Amino acid sequence: ITQYETFLAAVEVKPAGVFCVKDEADIKKVSGDYEALTDRLQTLPDQLSYDIMVPFGPLAFMPGKLVHTNEITVLLGDNWFAKCSAKQAQKIVDHRMKYVKNELDDLSKTMKNFEARVGFAKDLETISASKGDYVDIREEVGNNDSALTKGKQRIAHKPNSKPKLDVVWDLKEEDEEDEGERGDGGSRKGVMTEEELWARLDELEKLEELQDEQDRLSDNADMNGEDTSSSSSEEEKEAEAAPPVNGLSLKPSWSSISDSKAPLSTDRKKDDEEEEDNCLPTIFFSHTVEPKKVRINTGKNTTLKFSERKEQKEHSKRKKKNGHNNGHCHHELHKITTPADIYRLFVDVKNGEPIPRKSILKSRSRENSVCSDTSESSAADFEERRMIGRSFSHDEHSDTSDGITEEDSPTTVPLQLPSRYEAFSGTVIEKDPMPSAVPHLTISPPALPTILERKQEEVAPDVSPPQQLPKRVSKFKAARLQQK
Amino acid sequence: MAEAIQKKLKAEVEKYAQMQKDVSKSMSARQKLETQLAENNIVKEELDLLNSSNVVYKLIGPVLVKQDVDEAKATVAKRLEYINGEIQRYESVLKEMEKKSEQHREVLTSLQQEFQKAQGLAAGKV
Repeated sequence: ITQYETFLAAVEVKPAGVFCVKDEADIKKVSGDYEALTDRLQTLPDQLSYDIMVPFGPLAFMPGKLVHTNEITVLLGDNWFAKCSAKQAQKIVDHRMKYVKNELDDLSKTMKNFEARVGFAKDLETISASKGDYVDIREEVGNNDSALTKGKQRIAHKPNSKPKLDVVWDLKEEDEEDEGERGDGGSRKGVMTEEELWARLDELEKLEELQDEQDRLSDNADMNGEDTSSSSSEEEKEAEAAPPVNGLSLKPSWSSISDSKAPLSTDRKKDDEEEEDNCLPTIFFSHTVEPKKVRINTGKNTTLKFSERKEQKEHSKRKKKNGHNNGHCHHELHKITTPADIYRLFVDVKNGEPIPRKSILKSRSRENSVCSDTSESSAADFEERRMIGRSFSHDEHSDTSDGITEEDSPTTVPLQLPSRYEAFSGTVIEKDPMPSAVPHLTISPPALPTILERKQEEVAPDVSPPQQLPKRVSKFKAARLQQK
Repeated sequence: MAEAIQKKLKAEVEKYAQMQKDVSKSMSARQKLETQLAENNIVKEELDLLNSSNVVYKLIGPVLVKQDVDEAKATVAKRLEYINGEIQRYESVLKEMEKKSEQHREVLTSLQQEFQKAQGLAAGKV
């Protein structure tokens, strides 16, 4: 602590303190005046008039009378006056007294602060001169025992506490000493704590690894349709690593997870199939264990509760049927090793040809969906599945429209078409397995059996997306031709 | 070289002094506004203490003009708002001025350093 600093402290404090004192005197004077006024107001209305000596210029007085003893014109401030009775004036005066007292209190507080500051400055002076009882404790920086550092490690983290003057307000001598110690100790400890920190870091890293493993285990049970393929691979690894443990805990979760139609889950589904369901080549078996919340795909459509479940049930039915059909035909295809195998299984048998389905996630029962609420979600799902289908299909046809495979069905069941149009007009109708319920798509293929043409013309311009028109025309023309 | 820098330094110092004056002016104006604010607050409260029976006057020049109590209250309230707005305006102006003065200060210090260097060089040369 230099002489300079103490000087500064003293210099700063003194003028402010002086000003405080000056204001204090002023305020005290004012409050004295008000008290005198109060007294006067109380006695004034006692008499109707008073005989007084009236000041007449600066040097003379003359006898006169003070009348209207109850009428007092009060200066409210800012050039505002109010005429009021003595009692009302008294009220005003009381109000002002309150204000003045507040000012006085504030001033006294600041005065105290300044005094404290002055005191501190004086103490600093004595310390720097090493005259008083208090000594600035300084220690040299050097190597200390590890025990010492461990013990005082916490002190090192305190904010930099150089004994500067302009900050401290609570002034006890102990504080100064503490500050001195801390300031010096901090610099000393700072060097040692680095090594400690490195050790700590290593510990934490190990802890983190442990935590990660635990998290993974719990994630397997919790995860439901998340999109991270990495996690699935991790799970599989762990499944292999500890089958007895994981198998038990994970199976139910797997079944629930496979409810979701996320692409991710195909990996698990594959495992599921291998383990659980050898008889059926299909994936749906997990539908029997349906959680309430069903997430679809990427988790965008979460909690499609009721309707979704219904849809899934129907979906499962459809798949069962198809599965059986496929089962008869493709026993050799039960062996599923890649996601592509799955798609091979989901083959529509139409017109005697097994036409690979574009997307296995698309339910044939979509047109059977009853609730119109799902229209949006199902539409969204459809979009997503279409994309997924595209991403997964290896040996598929060109991805013009998903309706292609489904469009084949009209050839087989043309009679159902008329009601189909109604479906396209917005409402969803229960139907037999008509592919591509896609209400928002398709709709009126223009070239259909003659009876429908009229309706087509009405409906087609409204609904049909122009892009798909040309293709549909060709297909349905073929259908019509066939019919003819 | 040193002389040129010295001139520059002087000019900058003058500018800085000017800025400081402006700052202090706006500060004092703001303080005035604050006292006015306090006063008007008191007036408002005292007016509320009164009822409509007693008469209120306003001093306009040498004349005491009679005013309606409610009118007076309204006027005082408006004045209060106006003062508040003015205070805010002054505060913003003050902030800006402070920033500018800071910048100026920095410029000054850098110039000073240059000047000292130049002086040192000159002394070395000589």
